[in-house]
Amino acid sequence: MSESNKKIVQESDDLTYGDIVWGQFKKNNLAMFALYGLSILIFIAVFCPILASDRPFIWVENGQTSYPWFTSLFDRNYYENSVDIFFNLAMVLSIPLTIIWVVVARVIRTKHSEKRAYRKVLYRFNIGLFAAFIALFLGISTQKYEEPYKQYYEEYTQAKEDNQKDISAVFTPIPYGYRKTGFKSLDGISGEHWLGVDQSTRDVAVRMLYGTRIALSIGIIAVSIYVTIGVIIGSTAGFFGGWTDILIVRFIEIFMSIPSLFVILALLAFVEKPSIFHIMAVIGCLRWTGVARLTRGEFLRLRNLDFVSSAIALGFSTRRIIFQHVLPNALGPVLVNATFGVAAAILTESTLSFLGLGDVSVPSWGQTLNEGYSTGAWHLILAPGFAIFFTVSLLNLVGEGFRDALDPKMRK
Amino acid sequence: MLFYIIKRMLLIIPTFLAISLIVFAIVNFAPGNPGGRQIGSEGGQQANTGEQRESYRIFKEQFNLDKPVILNFRYNLTKDEVVDVLAKVLNPVIEIDGKEEKEYGLGEQIESQEYLENLGRYAVPSLMEILNTHPEVEYRALASQRLTINARQRLQGEFRKDLTKAQRETNKKISDETASFKGQYFLALSPEDAEDAESKTEEEVKEFWNPWYEQNKTDWEYSTGDIFSITFTDTRFAKYWYNLSQLNFGVSHRDKRPVLETVLSKLKYSLTLAVTSVFLAYLISLPLGIWSAVNHNSKADRAVTVVLFMLYSLPSFFVGVVLLNLLTVEYRIFPTAGFESLNASEMTTLEYIKDVMWHVFLPICCMTYASLAALSRYAKTGLLDIINADFIRTARAKGLPESVVIIKHAARNGMIPILTLIATLLPVLIGGSIVIEQIFGIPGMGRYGFEAILTRDYNVVMAILLISSLLTLIGMLISDILYAIVDPRITFD
Repeated sequence: MSESNKKIVQESDDLTYGDIVWGQFKKNNLAMFALYGLSILIFIAVFCPILASDRPFIWVENGQTSYPWFTSLFDRNYYENSVDIFFNLAMVLSIPLTIIWVVVARVIRTKHSEKRAYRKVLYRFNIGLFAAFIALFLGISTQKYEEPYKQYYEEYTQAKEDNQKDISAVFTPIPYGYRKTGFKSLDGISGEHWLGVDQSTRDVAVRMLYGTRIALSIGIIAVSIYVTIGVIIGSTAGFFGGWTDILIVRFIEIFMSIPSLFVILALLAFVEKPSIFHIMAVIGCLRWTGVARLTRGEFLRLRNLDFVSSAIALGFSTRRIIFQHVLPNALGPVLVNATFGVAAAILTESTLSFLGLGDVSVPSWGQTLNEGYSTGAWHLILAPGFAIFFTVSLLNLVGEGFRDALDPKMRK
Repeated sequence: MLFYIIKRMLLIIPTFLAISLIVFAIVNFAPGNPGGRQIGSEGGQQANTGEQRESYRIFKEQFNLDKPVILNFRYNLTKDEVVDVLAKVLNPVIEIDGKEEKEYGLGEQIESQEYLENLGRYAVPSLMEILNTHPEVEYRALASQRLTINARQRLQGEFRKDLTKAQRETNKKISDETASFKGQYFLALSPEDAEDAESKTEEEVKEFWNPWYEQNKTDWEYSTGDIFSITFTDTRFAKYWYNLSQLNFGVSHRDKRPVLETVLSKLKYSLTLAVTSVFLAYLISLPLGIWSAVNHNSKADRAVTVVLFMLYSLPSFFVGVVLLNLLTVEYRIFPTAGFESLNASEMTTLEYIKDVMWHVFLPICCMTYASLAALSRYAKTGLLDIINADFIRTARAKGLPESVVIIKHAARNGMIPILTLIATLLPVLIGGSIVIEQIFGIPGMGRYGFEAILTRDYNVVMAILLISSLLTLIGMLISDILYAIVDPRITFD
């Protein structure tokens, strides 16, 4: 075999399952477009304080310069919600983390010429980075830091009008936060309020922007909870079979025939003051049945394949076989299901807020739609409605792209 | 086949039992006591006036909320336990670091008051002992006050109308006894106040209670059988199963009407919506799916796919609100709310049908479009899988016309997966109907259930959870049977 032929053989051998799926996915224009759209959405979620905040970037009063925007980012008094703190941390660290990641990836790349080894090290590094990020987030979110309350924008405009005080400031493009009240109730779309004002005298555009954070975090966390539960239960059933399987399948069937939206509503109504974390937990604990069934099916299929038999023959522990051999091969369909699940979870949360059982302290889209329903104001109906619609359809398109990419029959 | 159907139907019974177990767990172990929550509306905790307390106590008895959840050990209640509870109820002021403070928090005090009330007749022997032997007068006084309430017997079949003659007579005796308890207590007052007070003195009270207790002492001498039956049957769990086996879902605390009756009357509206929209969805999506599978990848097919995809992603409550605002508020084409007009009873049948159709048009549109989108996509992929199969090529080779090939050969096989979707559609529709019924003001089951959730109407929530689960089970059964009928390859042995 010539040198070049050998290389080709090696390279094609080097293609992992993920590579193949990703290659297929890239050929699907619509799905790629949706993936870009989703990235923009995540970008908005992370960087929305740059677009809208009560606090000016720079504030110069009587010759003294302060930076209220930066100090507000981790202020539990200003951003009451830990979801906001999380995204703010992501925003602050996004650029340094990206640089670190690129540099480290380069270094690993030069050290490991073999693709799989390189991937393995990079994978560990990613997990480490993520763990460090979460640890930092937990550390920051326990801090209580309170800045004295000050109405910067009012003071600034007042000073400009009166020409009295010497104040200059640099504001974000929209100089209000999502909790800022006091505008004209139900005011329509104007230059000052891009999407109008809601019934509770808050700016709608800002609430839509910050609502991205709520929607995405609800979707992702709730789905992570139920994917974890579902994979554990489903793989137990599928791998062990026999009585375990029968019992679990029965249990899943029973769980599936209880209308979950009704249970979610009932459970949330019993909680004194539901927060978004309650909503995440409740959705996460009730929607695992689909994932469990899927994982079980995949396990049943994979269990009888040769590579599992050989792993058993080699005397590997059950845990190792499940987590290292079978599970990675079963995860494809679960991932597709999870993508659709994120869309469904966002819909569920909007439904809950629409029905008035959501967390009232967060800028949820469904809550604005509810105000639109009760007042009949078009801008309150269309803005959140389309926000939900776009997010859900982008996620569904991406999910579909993954499903097609996983399907060998559709391979191009 | 018949054997399979029977087996499949029998399977519903254990499944339903398990569901009712889960429903019981959800309602009883969910954070916050569903019964305790309605205190606001029933005027329980805050209200200390006798009447309100009494109505709250009756409410608790009615819903068995005074009983322990799973096991009842109240038969071996000791005097010391009751003294502890009384201490919390009395909540004496004590000195902590020189400051005068109440020993227990207000929450704990209210909780113990509740608990004491819930103990009912089980507390009587201990209360008697306290009345006679406790050194502190406050405790003896409180014990006498509690006795007038705790010693009461429950009326038989209290919340029913159909009583036998014997039951009525016992009830009469019980109410006479209860009436005799009235005023048989004393207050812990200083001697000079006690002279003015209208209540009885301690001696008088004891003179009443001690003979009464001697007379009825056997009520609290439990045999092993009694202990067994109390432990397992005088609980919320047992009462729940008992009521369920009688198909008795209790009464709603809002309108005091039997839950089952109300739910059944509301089911009419919800089923009209759900069944019509499932029917319409299948009616439109099957031909649509077949059409787009036949014209796969044509321009028209792509356009339809995109439109269907958009419909699939549109949240139904958004569409509902838009339609409502546009067609009923702005243009007034459709009525804003309700299932029928107010003068529905005066209409002829034809007029009535027209009227109902006019009312439910928008809600049905909202409920149909989402399932329509999902179904036709499944129909298309199902048919595409089949259309390349060998037997289709054979059918074409035989010279059969294309329409026969598609409809008779391909569609019949390709549509099998669609049938199973009925099972998944039903719970979604029942869940979705909460939102749609809420938006369009349809007085159906979803809306009734949602309002019950908001007002913590314990019995209604349980009944609706159970009934909608049962409907879902029936949906699954139907789809399984249809599956077996359509696909002759499936045998169930």
